[in-house]
Amino acid sequence: MSNNAQKPTGLLGWLDRRYPLIETWNYHIAEYYAPKNFNFWYFFGSLALLVFVNQIVTGIWLTMSYKPDAAEAFNSVEYIMRDVEWGWLIRYLHSTGASAFFIVVYLHMLRGLLYGSYKEPRELVWIIGMLLFFALMAEAFMGYLLPWGQMSFWGAQVIISLFGAIPVIGPDLAIWVKGDYVISDATLNRFFALHVIALPLVLVILVFMHIVALHQVGSNNPDGIEIKKYKNEKGLPIDGIPFHPYYSVKDSMGVVVFLFFFAFVVFYMPEGGGYFLEAPNFEPANPLKTPDHIAPVWYFTPFYAILRAIPDKLLGVAGMGGAIAILFAMPWLDRCKVKSIRYRGISYKLLLTMFVISFVVLGWLGTQPATPELTKLARIFTATYFLFFIILPFTSVMERTKPVPERLT
Amino acid sequence: MKNINNITLLIMLFITVLSTNALASAGGGAHLEHAGNNILDQESLQKGAVLFATRCMSCHSVKYMRYNRVAKDLGWTDEEVLKKLGKTRNKVVDNMMGSMNDTTAMAAFGTKIPDLSLMARLKGSDYIYSFLRGFELDMKKGKWDNKYLPGTAMPNIMMKPNDPKALEQYDKDTRDLVNFLEYVGEPAKMKRYDLGWKVMLFLFIMFIFAYLLKREYWKDIKH
Repeated sequence: MSNNAQKPTGLLGWLDRRYPLIETWNYHIAEYYAPKNFNFWYFFGSLALLVFVNQIVTGIWLTMSYKPDAAEAFNSVEYIMRDVEWGWLIRYLHSTGASAFFIVVYLHMLRGLLYGSYKEPRELVWIIGMLLFFALMAEAFMGYLLPWGQMSFWGAQVIISLFGAIPVIGPDLAIWVKGDYVISDATLNRFFALHVIALPLVLVILVFMHIVALHQVGSNNPDGIEIKKYKNEKGLPIDGIPFHPYYSVKDSMGVVVFLFFFAFVVFYMPEGGGYFLEAPNFEPANPLKTPDHIAPVWYFTPFYAILRAIPDKLLGVAGMGGAIAILFAMPWLDRCKVKSIRYRGISYKLLLTMFVISFVVLGWLGTQPATPELTKLARIFTATYFLFFIILPFTSVMERTKPVPERLT
Repeated sequence: MKNINNITLLIMLFITVLSTNALASAGGGAHLEHAGNNILDQESLQKGAVLFATRCMSCHSVKYMRYNRVAKDLGWTDEEVLKKLGKTRNKVVDNMMGSMNDTTAMAAFGTKIPDLSLMARLKGSDYIYSFLRGFELDMKKGKWDNKYLPGTAMPNIMMKPNDPKALEQYDKDTRDLVNFLEYVGEPAKMKRYDLGWKVMLFLFIMFIFAYLLKREYWKDIKH
């Protein structure tokens, strides 16, 4: 807030006296000082926001023609694909957007792991982000039932049956979630309600909180040092630059590059090689006919592989939930004072590499049928996935770190 | 220029790997023949539509397709489409329904007849092509069976000719038929192909401006 700024007059002045218009703009955009050394990895936050807006807008238009009715849902999707003007484009933007959302969010999270963005003072930014990730998975899961294809139905069947593994309350809980003894019209209706109203609202609130929390503590950067340490005579960080115009123009460039690849998928491979839109989903849901091979959409497969790797059903569910839940604890599991991987010891570099490989391999395994050999492989990588979190608290305290620079490099 | 070629090659390789993976799960055991159809070949689509109407529609429907949509996409007028497909008793806004109902089908074949609107998306064009050509005479039972779908109730409609001269036409016919079914699976596909590169070209030009704008603003930031 600069004191020498002139008080606005006219309409803007009228508005600003009644609503903190200029103050909000300045705090979050024009006078939000971000480190000047953001690299490639720092595009994915704004891209996630872009994809979110895409999902909301295309989603609104899809609901105008979609029918949440077990007898009509599949037909209405084909109606959108064929008879609604530009319906095919809206639908592909939405279906491709779902996968794109997870791609950018996974990269955004990996950025956090690379540069220690979850560490003090940004623990809450990370935790709100994890809540966002969790809500996003629920949103995607419910959305996937809506086309009412074979994979929609059987994928939901597999996931909801997991609730049944919880002791005592499990079976009743599974019925409560479905609203019926089987996945039916009632399930479709409530998933529609949750997908288009409840969870998007939760997501909007969490995105807002994620950004507010970030702007309270300031952005981390590839060097993992605090720019607030060195300020000029005006009290502004020397190594910081205002978000607008510097990062607004830079992120715009990132947006165009992202849209280029996004458009390529939307127009030339909307099925994403059978990963974004699975072939069995072009057949209407049939409760009497189980598909040969049920695979959830690719963004759930790492966790699905962990579930299948553990022989006991309850432990499997616990393992799958634990694989997500343990990420919440990252700010406390990682006890190294140095944030950025640039200045951290070899142990963290090795551990993180192992973790990323485990995640990717588990993701692939989750798409494959569970043969004995692949199950063995899934067990190994489930172990290395969790090993990351088990070893980290011990190695991170005695890491041989490199000297961290005082100012941004 | 060399860089661009490498990128294109990489993208093509990526797509090939992904689609091989996806199709591997679609075929049932036997190795699939490559259909090699081209959805942008309008003449082939027209021939396929006529073949479908005359050979397949006595049983199969494509219930999500309307005659006037076929006319619009395949370059026919509303009057032409009904005449060409021999459906002059239908209205042009009608959905393309087969002539056989479920009861008759149960009596004749012991099964319901699948709608083919989305068969190409479900099983892939190569599967349909292979299936049509995969009929073999089962000597023991004295009837036709299919190596891609053993025990199928479907009769051998696209009978493979013995005359080698007729083989070329047979290949063409089966390919045209598959081409039409691929189109039916997603009628917007041609529009999608046609629009995509324009959008990408626009984005490429926009990138140049976005890049120049970024460079201009960032000139005064020292690293």
